[in-house]
Amino acid sequence: MSKVLTAKDLCKTYIVNKRQNNVLRNVNFSIDEGEMVAIMGPSGSGKSTLLYTVSGMDSITAGEVQFCGRDIAKLKEKELAGLRLDEMGFIFQQMYMLKNLTVLDNIILPSCQSDKIKETRKETVQRGEELMRKLGIISIADNDITEVSGGQLQRACICRSMINNPKMIFADEPTGALNRTSSDEVMDELTKLNNEGTTIMLVTHDIKVAAKCTRVLYIVDGNIKGEYNIGKYENASQMRERKRALNNWLMEMGW
Amino acid sequence: MYLNILKKDLKRKKTMNVILLMFIILAVMFSSSGLNNVLTVMNGTDYYLDKAGVGDFTVITMGSESIGNTSSVLEKTECVKSYKIEECIAGSQNCVRNEDGTKMESKNNPLFQSISNAKMNFFNENNDAVSTVKPGEVLIAGNFIQKNDLKIGDKISVKLGDVQIDLKIAGMVKDAFLGSDLIGNTRFLLNQADYDKLTSDKKFLKNHICELIYIETDDVNSAKAAVTDIPGVAFTGDRALLKMCYVMEMIVAFVVLILSICLIIVSFVVLRFSISFTVAEEYREIGVMKAIGLKSGKIRSLYIIKYLIMSIVGGIIGFFASIPFGNMLLMSASRNMVFGNNSGILINILSAIGTIFIILLFAYRCTGKVKKLTPIDAIRCGQKGERFRKKSFLRLGKTKSKPSLYMALNDILSAPGRFMTVIISFFICTLFVLILVNTVSTMKSPNLIGTFGTESDLYISGLDSSMELIGAESKMDVENELERIADEITAEGMPCKVSVDIQYKYKAASDENEISVSCAQSIGIKADEYEYTEGSAPKYKNEIAVTPQISKMLEAKIGDTVTIDFGSEKIDCIITAYFQTMNNLGEVIRLSDEAPAYMKFIATLRQYQVDFTDDPSEKEIESRKIKIQKLYENAEIMNAAEYCMDCLSVVPAMEAVQLLLLSITIIVVILVTILVERSFISDERSQIAILKAIGFTNGTIVKWHTLRFGIAALAAAVLAAIASIPMTNLCISPIFGMMGASDIRFNIEPLRIFLIYPAVIFAVTIAAAWITALHTRKIRTSEATNIE
Repeated sequence: MSKVLTAKDLCKTYIVNKRQNNVLRNVNFSIDEGEMVAIMGPSGSGKSTLLYTVSGMDSITAGEVQFCGRDIAKLKEKELAGLRLDEMGFIFQQMYMLKNLTVLDNIILPSCQSDKIKETRKETVQRGEELMRKLGIISIADNDITEVSGGQLQRACICRSMINNPKMIFADEPTGALNRTSSDEVMDELTKLNNEGTTIMLVTHDIKVAAKCTRVLYIVDGNIKGEYNIGKYENASQMRERKRALNNWLMEMGW
Repeated sequence: MYLNILKKDLKRKKTMNVILLMFIILAVMFSSSGLNNVLTVMNGTDYYLDKAGVGDFTVITMGSESIGNTSSVLEKTECVKSYKIEECIAGSQNCVRNEDGTKMESKNNPLFQSISNAKMNFFNENNDAVSTVKPGEVLIAGNFIQKNDLKIGDKISVKLGDVQIDLKIAGMVKDAFLGSDLIGNTRFLLNQADYDKLTSDKKFLKNHICELIYIETDDVNSAKAAVTDIPGVAFTGDRALLKMCYVMEMIVAFVVLILSICLIIVSFVVLRFSISFTVAEEYREIGVMKAIGLKSGKIRSLYIIKYLIMSIVGGIIGFFASIPFGNMLLMSASRNMVFGNNSGILINILSAIGTIFIILLFAYRCTGKVKKLTPIDAIRCGQKGERFRKKSFLRLGKTKSKPSLYMALNDILSAPGRFMTVIISFFICTLFVLILVNTVSTMKSPNLIGTFGTESDLYISGLDSSMELIGAESKMDVENELERIADEITAEGMPCKVSVDIQYKYKAASDENEISVSCAQSIGIKADEYEYTEGSAPKYKNEIAVTPQISKMLEAKIGDTVTIDFGSEKIDCIITAYFQTMNNLGEVIRLSDEAPAYMKFIATLRQYQVDFTDDPSEKEIESRKIKIQKLYENAEIMNAAEYCMDCLSVVPAMEAVQLLLLSITIIVVILVTILVERSFISDERSQIAILKAIGFTNGTIVKWHTLRFGIAALAAAVLAAIASIPMTNLCISPIFGMMGASDIRFNIEPLRIFLIYPAVIFAVTIAAAWITALHTRKIRTSEATNIE
């Protein structure tokens, strides 16, 4: 399998009150196409920073990040934006959307902005509706974002992240603000996407969420302390065993 | 604890707090200076005339016949409380020349007076009283220095009769009596020795000596009646007339006044927006405070204290800024006048306090919602749970536009309230600029010609003969002179006829009143060639037309009879028509061609009117204008539009104010755009960050934000352009009405109104919004994750 994302000796340092804070220290890892990788670790360990630096949303201090063979540290701001628009999808813990747009318009917005997508506006709308139908939220297409529940909105965010057929989706605690039922629904959708071939990297505190991934990276103090390969999640019957195994490994890691 | 919350708030929300402080400073500055200017302009002429000591009633006599008689008449008049007489000498329009001998532009006949004989107060440019002139020097009133491109230290040469003296210009003075643009007799103040020398040609002095009389009285009508016994009265004017003479200056002053009111409105509209905007920003925190048990009153007082502190700081800065700002605005209007009010900066202080009070009132009302909100409603930014209102107006899926344009348009249509501040502010400023553009354009066009006379191909002003004809023996002398001029021009290959409108000063009496009034009769132009607003032109000896002003003064209407004393005979004349004129502020009677003409009652000859008989093209007329100018080097040759501008001498001042207004509008547009855009950026950080995160470039986001202001500015400019036409009529017609012209056809230049000026406002807005929107580049994509 080809590598979608590779980080080599990745460092990220913040200067706060003239004090140097090394958030990421020589991080090395790679993600293959079709993988679903969870990043876990205690609060403040650098999980989200890792996600944002490898996705080009934040700059890196040292090292190298290759995304689909391109060194993102060397890309200009405009090229990075193009990369995020066409090749990456993003899901955040909070369901950020533009408040003056309907749910469907929020979903198709990246596609309308993209030069990669050569289609009419009508076709874009049809694709957006198709995605919404797939995720079971077609009924809220014309609603304002203030009129729908958190779970529905997060699924809309997944649709938005998918609209430009990205090579990889980055999700920062996608279920963090959801209740158990909504959380399960969202994870089911992400798992489905992964099974269909979309590469996913997500940050989570939730073992149940991580148990649905193919691999888990455990990060402590800006370093990857270990990684655990669970294999492909296929059905709910595996869940209990995957959770137990993952929990044991996390205990070893000091979780 | 509250103090700590307040301190943290001021520190943490620095950008929004600085923006709010800026708005407060602007509001206080605009309202303080604006209110002071309103009061100053409203008191304008009275304050100036009182300060100069002009009195209640003024008279000018010409010729030596009045010398000695004036005092005896006034002494006998009971209603005259006191009076002052100044002696001076009138020169021809060409008597003042440059050092190199070239003629100077003077609207009417200049008057020369010794400063030792001054009975009223004159003021210099700094509004300080002037009482001395050094030998060999001269102080010049009005716009003479400016019009002739002179400067202090330049030398001029004055020739009266056989006497010629050279004088050095020591400065300009403000002359409350004669300095207005409508009177336009330039007064030259000399040292006594120079004056004695200048008046040493006794023959010249006899015909040109004048008396300027300032009368204090409580009964102006009786005084008016009494002065009819003084021989050689050339002009009478009460306080109302003198105030009217400053109508041109007051137009400029009123422009400043309206501008001040506009700025006050704009500042409060913007202030209301920024307070409600910043309070809405606080809702989330208010919700948290409510959730942990703080009482609504305490929370509310916390924010009100914050606004109190900010408004006091902003109020103090705004107050100090308002003084130079207000003076700058007034300076453009006070070139010829001394403006002021007796309240001084007290008005600025009171309006600053008033503004602070209004700010607190806004804050009180905006925080009023705090009481009604549950903690969760507040956390949901003031919205009510499931009853969130619909926001999205347009559908991206149904448009073909790029997202930046779609989002800009959708933002405005979905939340028009947010942009209403921008639209209202820009609309008010643009509308005002356009009204002024229409006014100036009308003043510079021949549209007003009907209010000054009849339209001719060319007008000749300042020929030496026009002054000499005032002392003509008979009407025939004038006719001969007109014929001579026509022959001279015709001899140059420009066949023409020359005519002139003459104004006589006769007594007119109705059953109710008796007045001394200007009566116009033309030579070479028939009475029925003039425009009449109602009735038909006077045809017979005993028929006249009057202006609405005269109709009011005499309390006589069409069909009524007015007795006119032509000197040797009194004729009962029937009013056959009304007409409008801006000559003599509309106080004119038009006589029929058959009415008697007694040359000794001539008050003034207006410009010679030249009408070519071979029907030349406009281009040919312009070329003939140059030829005639060469023929009469000392005269001024004008076409109809130039003649109107000459009569309305306020045009250059209006153009200067127009430029000032456009500059202030541009500054206001820039300020409002910058401050509102910064507020929007601060409010929309999360949305900008998320757009960046999903791949929108900085350029697209800047374009989105810029387009919003562009659309708002375009809407405001289009609305202002449309509204400017009826609004010009509504606002400016009454001002022309004060000058005697109630029915004005405004000159609307579509290119300037609908394209150039809106384009300037639009371009400035786009530039200001674009530069400010560049600030969005500083918002990092990672902020999408750490927004509250």
